[in-house]
Formats: sequence, structure tokens, C-alpha cells
Amino acid sequence: MSGAVQDRRRINGPARSVEPIYTATPLDTSLAKGRSDGRGLDHMRPIYAKAGPIASTAQTTGSASGSAFYEQGSIRISCAVYGPRSGRKTNARRAHFECDFQYAPFACNSRTHTQTDEHEISLFLSNTVGPAIRLDSYPKSSIDAYVTVIESDGKMATLAAAINCISLALADAGIEMYDTVAACSMGLRGSQWVVDCTQAEEAECSMLVAYMPSVDEVTGVLQNGKTSLEMHEQAVQACTNVCVRVYAVICRALQASLE
Amino acid sequence: MASTEQLTFAIETFKRIHPVEFQRRFLSQDTRHDGRAFLQFRATHVVKGTIGTAQGSATVRIGNTTVVCGIKAEVSEPDVNTPDQGYLATNVDLSPICSANYRPGAPGDEAQVDSEHIFRLFGEVVDLKQLCIENDQAVWSLSADIVCLKSDGNVLDAAIIALMAAVEDLKLPQASLDPATGVVSADKAIETQLTLRKRLFPATFSLVDDAYLVADADDAEERLATATLLVVLDDQGRLANVWKRGAGTIDRPTIARCIAEAKNHQNAVSSALE
Repeated sequence: MSGAVQDRRRINGPARSVEPIYTATPLDTSLAKGRSDGRGLDHMRPIYAKAGPIASTAQTTGSASGSAFYEQGSIRISCAVYGPRSGRKTNARRAHFECDFQYAPFACNSRTHTQTDEHEISLFLSNTVGPAIRLDSYPKSSIDAYVTVIESDGKMATLAAAINCISLALADAGIEMYDTVAACSMGLRGSQWVVDCTQAEEAECSMLVAYMPSVDEVTGVLQNGKTSLEMHEQAVQACTNVCVRVYAVICRALQASLE
Repeated sequence: MASTEQLTFAIETFKRIHPVEFQRRFLSQDTRHDGRAFLQFRATHVVKGTIGTAQGSATVRIGNTTVVCGIKAEVSEPDVNTPDQGYLATNVDLSPICSANYRPGAPGDEAQVDSEHIFRLFGEVVDLKQLCIENDQAVWSLSADIVCLKSDGNVLDAAIIALMAAVEDLKLPQASLDPATGVVSADKAIETQLTLRKRLFPATFSLVDDAYLVADADDAEERLATATLLVVLDDQGRLANVWKRGAGTIDRPTIARCIAEAKNHQNAVSSALE
């Protein structure tokens, strides 16, 4: 439902509008016949990652320091990194890193003018990708990452994709990091953890792990829903293994951008 | 320490520290820094239906400028004064993603002005009566959002073409209102597309350095433009809109020339939209 607050800086439609009830045939979401796109339970959707500006190689003067475009199945995310540039605190010993996350208005299935969790996600991303950056190398400066989700398909999967995209953009900007952060998500279906759930497959319990393989450190864990401790540990271990595979994809994309 | 020898720069450095002089070197020799002729447009590429979550969408590229338009359709009650008309709200989103010129957060001046202009332009294109589901009770409310992913000049042309393509791509499921519950249900199996009143073909010209008229300025040229002229033609070749921005002056023969060139460019845009 669109909010009733009228934003005077935008062209507004009616104050209240709702989605119609779609009478489509319901998808069979049980796993009895396997997943709807034929993937294995531990397979991610195909990833396309590109470091550098979206269109061609030309850098204009108004360009970002680094940018990346990331696709995972139907998830599409674009990220621009600015920095290191002059920061807010002129006597800070470390750089200030901040992520600004936003959904494009048409990115999600249900359109809301202001997604209320954009701020929460921005904070989560800053805390998850921040530890990978050598902030001590850039005193008095600030590094900003702007992420826009063009199309989303599964909340946790989109978050994981955003983390991967920011890592790629930071590396493209030449910012010193301990390692690139790779993230992946899982959803609990029945008693099984299924990797990389789409919107249709998403269940009540889902897990996201962000991992730095070279230094063997986890930078972020996010869990929605409740599950037992053994299942939780199982998921973290499984996610970490999948993250290594995602890491390989990100590294390949970085190498390709240099050619 | 005064020195009489001439300073020599690498091209990139020269472009950075003295952009005006850099552009003049090319413009005074009757060419542009990317090799185009003065009135030559960049190639336009349009792909429709790129966003799965939107009912209508399109991605447009003019050179390096990349713009995505997505249209979401929701249902609402019509306005009391126009009980058989739906809504179309168009918004342009310019964020740090596309260029360092823009700040994050609420739409800035340029985005607001562009949104308003495109909104008025497309009032002539879409017949809002086609968005009626049930007179006086339920209508479609379309939210068209144009997100710029990369700005290399001339975002406005790309935005207009993207919205044109997205509206042509729009598929509305057949909706019906249940009079007892007041709930609107929609069947995705049966889809209708809108019949547009007219189609729009934009062309933007800039007066760089107050002397040189160029078509489809890219980012480097746009920064030095003293005046910009947008010419929008409809499918009959008639003038749908002329909009001059900027503090510089453009004389009337130049405006006539721009309109003539826009007519030449119309075919290129039209074939891209197919």
C-alpha cells in the first residue's frame, strides 16, 4: 500500500493505492519435485558481475571512483563508490565508510514509495563491508558506497548480492582492503537449508553470511526467523563454503575488468 | 620563478584542469572531442521488458548514458472530478550512482524539474480514460520511475525515450471489481496494452561556449553549455514541445535549424523504439 504522506518533491499519484488480488495459478513451492528452475539445493543462481562503469570504458569527469554492476538470476544491482575524499571529521585517524542503500521504486513486487528498512540495510552493509577495508590507510577521509537495487528477487539473496556488488566496486576504486567480502544466503525449507532462495522460495527462516576467504573471517551474519542451534551452525558452515565459490566469481570479474 | 617556455600537458591532465580550452581545440576545428560531427547524435539503443517486477519497463542507452524506466500498476479510487480517469505519475531519479553531480536523498532541483516536464509531456501521450476499471470506483494508478544508471550527458532525451518505450511495453492484467467486497482482482493470463494518443521523439541541442551548436552533448560538453534546447516531435512530425534551458541566448535561425535537425533524427529514434 502506498503511504498517505504526499512528497512535494515528487509527482504523486493518488494518496492511497493497493495492488489488485492476482488470480494466477499458485506456484508449487514444495521441494518434492525439485526447485522451479531446476537448480540443485546447494546451487546459486548464475552470476554476472562487471567492475567498472556500466557502459563502456570511458570515464567522465563526473564519474565515481569505482563502480560495479552485479546480476544474480533476476537480481540486478548497481553500485558506485566515491572516495577516498575529504571527510567530515578533519582530525579522524581512520576513514569514515558509509553505505547508502536504496531500492528502485519498481524493484520489488509490491511497490512502496519509501521502503522502511532501507536505513537498516544501509547500516548493516556499512558494518559488514567496513571491516574489510583498511580504514587506517586513509585518515581524515570518507569513503561512500551508493547501492541501487534495480530488480530484487528474494530479500536475503538481494542483500547478499548487494554485499558482493559493494566489494566489487570498492576493489574497482582501488581502495585498500584486507580481502573482498563474499556473501551468500540460505533459506530453511522444512528441515533442509536451501541456497539462494528466490522470492517464491523464501520461507520464514533465512540466513545470510558474509565471509572473507583469504583471512578466514566472517564479517557479518544475519538470521531471520527461528531455528535450533545445530541447524544454525550447520547453516553458517554451509554458507561459508558457498561464499568461497562466490569469491572466485568476484575475483574473476576483477581480473576481466583489467583486460 | 617566471618561465617563458610553454607548458605541455598530457591529454588527460589538460582535459581536467582546463576543460574549456580543451573543448575549444576541437570545436574551433569543426569537430568534437569524441570525433562526432556537430549535429551528429550518438547511437540510441532501446530494450523493452527488462524488469520482471514491473508491469512495463525499458532500458535505454544513448552512448554511455544509461537509463532504466519501470512502470508499476496499482489500483485506487479515482478523483471525484474525473471518475473515469486513472493516474500516471512520472518521476526521474538522479542519484550519485550515475554521476558525482547529484547528492543522495530526496530529489534535487534538476530531478524535480525534469519530472515535472516529463509529466506534462506525457499527459498528451497516455489517455487516462483507458485506465478505468470501474467508473467512479476503481482505476489503475501507474507509477513510472526513470532511474538514471550512468550519466554522460543528455539524460533528458534518454528519459523520454525510456518512458515512451516502457509505456509501449506496459501490459495491464484484466481487472474486475467485486461490487460486494470492493476488492479488485486481476487475471494475469489476459493482458491488454495501452493505445497511445501519440508518440514522442526528443532531440536535445546545446550551445557550447556560447558559439558552437552541438547535438546530443555528452557530459564534458554539457558542463560548458550556456544554453540547451529540447525539441520534441510527435509521430506526425508536428512540434509537441520546445524547451530552452540555461541563461545563454539562442537566436531564432538557430532554433529553426534545431527543429529541422530534430526531424532528421526522428527516424533514428523511431527505429530504435521498434
